[in-house]
Amino acid sequence: MTTAIATLRRQVRAYPVFATWLMFLGVMLLVGLVSAAAVLWVGLDVTNLSNRVPWGLWITVDLSAIALGAGAFSLSTIVYIFRVKSFAPIARMAVFVGFVGYTSAMLALVMDIGRPDRFWHPMVYWNVHSVLWEVTMCVIFYSAVLVFELAPAVLESEAVVKRFPRGPQIAHVMHRFTPVVSVVGLGLSLLHQSSLGATYGVLAARPLWFKPTLPVMFIVSAVAAGSTFTLALTVFYENVIGKRQISSKLRGHIAMFAGLMMLAYLYLKLWDFLATFYYSHLPARVEANTLLESTTPYGTTFWWLEIVLGALIPAIILLTPALRRQDLWVLLGGFLAVGGVIANRWNVTLSGLVVPMDWSPGAAQLFSVQPYTPSLAEWGVAIGVLGYALTMFTLGLRFLPLFNHEAHGEH
Amino acid sequence: MAEEKFLTRREFITALTAIGGSAAVAIALSEIEPLAELIQRELALELPEVRREVAHARGKARHHWAMLIDLRKCIGCQYCVYACQAVNNVPDDMRWNVYIPEVTQTGVPFHMTRPCMHCQDAPCTAVCPTRATWVRDDGIVIMDYSLCIGCRYCQVACPYEARTFNWKAREGDSGYQAEWGAAEVEPRPRGVAEKCTFCVHRIDRGLAQGLVPGEDRPATPACVNICPVEARVFGDLNDPNSRISRLIDELPTFRLREDLGTEPNVYYVPPEGMTL
Repeated sequence: MTTAIATLRRQVRAYPVFATWLMFLGVMLLVGLVSAAAVLWVGLDVTNLSNRVPWGLWITVDLSAIALGAGAFSLSTIVYIFRVKSFAPIARMAVFVGFVGYTSAMLALVMDIGRPDRFWHPMVYWNVHSVLWEVTMCVIFYSAVLVFELAPAVLESEAVVKRFPRGPQIAHVMHRFTPVVSVVGLGLSLLHQSSLGATYGVLAARPLWFKPTLPVMFIVSAVAAGSTFTLALTVFYENVIGKRQISSKLRGHIAMFAGLMMLAYLYLKLWDFLATFYYSHLPARVEANTLLESTTPYGTTFWWLEIVLGALIPAIILLTPALRRQDLWVLLGGFLAVGGVIANRWNVTLSGLVVPMDWSPGAAQLFSVQPYTPSLAEWGVAIGVLGYALTMFTLGLRFLPLFNHEAHGEH
Repeated sequence: MAEEKFLTRREFITALTAIGGSAAVAIALSEIEPLAELIQRELALELPEVRREVAHARGKARHHWAMLIDLRKCIGCQYCVYACQAVNNVPDDMRWNVYIPEVTQTGVPFHMTRPCMHCQDAPCTAVCPTRATWVRDDGIVIMDYSLCIGCRYCQVACPYEARTFNWKAREGDSGYQAEWGAAEVEPRPRGVAEKCTFCVHRIDRGLAQGLVPGEDRPATPACVNICPVEARVFGDLNDPNSRISRLIDELPTFRLREDLGTEPNVYYVPPEGMTL
């Protein structure tokens, strides 16, 4: 015991920055655990959610985490299905980011549902007409795909090989199935990344949501922001260890891909706005928007956080060779893209919910905008989920061979 | 270093073949008998008209329960709300049956109440990921509380805000029970959604005893029984001689948000001074 403490003390002295970081993560996880305990013990009453606004911060966390994990299927598809070998060095990192994103999302979801003990019900009691059922099934299956795709990295890691020398051999066999698994992963991702948008898009009673563009905008924004995030995280890691992991040419290619996706997203956003607000004036939609503009900051955050800071500037950074060559710009682009996707998921969720539905035949102004600010417990759980994600990134990048694995045979 | 090609011809052709092959497999699969049949059935069932026709053809739909709320008669006493709270054991901070004071377009006040609409094409049942809620053949939308995972998508999807969620565990009885009647159903557990059931327990038990829901009081929803001015009428739309069928034939009626195509089973008679 005393030797362990002595070792720990020596380690902390030797790596003060890393030790501080781990302590920071520990605090985040602790905050998360305490909040989660409160939610499980008392129930969702500890949230500021209500019957009018039943979804809030956690759904935003969940949607954002899944969107940011989309780099996994996008970049895997490029490598394994379109066989663009130059992208191979990023594939494993992308899959890892996806794994962390999806597991974070599932953590947030389990906290969000009223009966976490029944999380498995959708798998048994199918309702094939429910978008949410489709999302649930796809997310579960896709998480299995991610585990399969990530397994070789774990099997090849130093710690595993030391105790289990046959690990790399199994990894090699598994790796040969990767292209097939990638096809399955692509199908599942195309389905649920879009249908998360459809979750909102199919609800005819909510004029701000009811449109066919939502599913498409969800997946395109996820591919754009997810790929940018994977790239930015890689560049960040390169700076932490002081060593390049991907060639500058590959970095350029990924940035180009993400940037073009960002442009495609902006194009969709533009036409979504033009078609639903500028060139047409559906009374319910105009009314809802006027209400939002006058009572909430969603209009401002839409234009500034989602469009300008969250998509336009990242697109410019990613598509300008002089900028994307510099680490700071890539990191800034990644940061902005992540912020943009989170702002978008928040705005989509809340703008649709806080606008009241007027079902009464009368003319009285009975239904007012329902304000929502997350409660302390909600923030606590969100911080805990973020802490989990950061811990996973730290451990994964420290212990898993996420980049230098070309020796183990690409195709 | 030589410029590496982004996509070689071979890669491009492989990718095209892969996409084409997947499409071919998908098409081939959809031709296989059981799958084709499933697809066909699913597509057909999507249409509410077809679904209703199928239900009728099978002779399942012996009854079709509906409610009429006469807004000309309602005096806003809220007895229907209180009776509902008591009989259905609804916590005091939740409402299955809602009362709101309203005005017509010309400013004439009237009293609006809203139970669950029991839509025939109910958005809440379509979105439920676990089949915890569905439209019965007799038109009633009910829930199985033991299947609900508490995702609250039904709340988000319902255009009428007819669903409430159990944010906390139940403490004690409803404050309305002493005065407005004994609880007839179990309280719901924490973490599940719930809604008006048209007092389905009374209907089912009443039918088993040979009673006629809407005419015999023990088989009629609590809110209908308690109404001092008979503003609420309940009955079987499949029976052309039921009181509700005759009233709907005679009176001008409307349903809430008919534009959404949800086909509610709650009909309203407009208040004086309201144009439809």
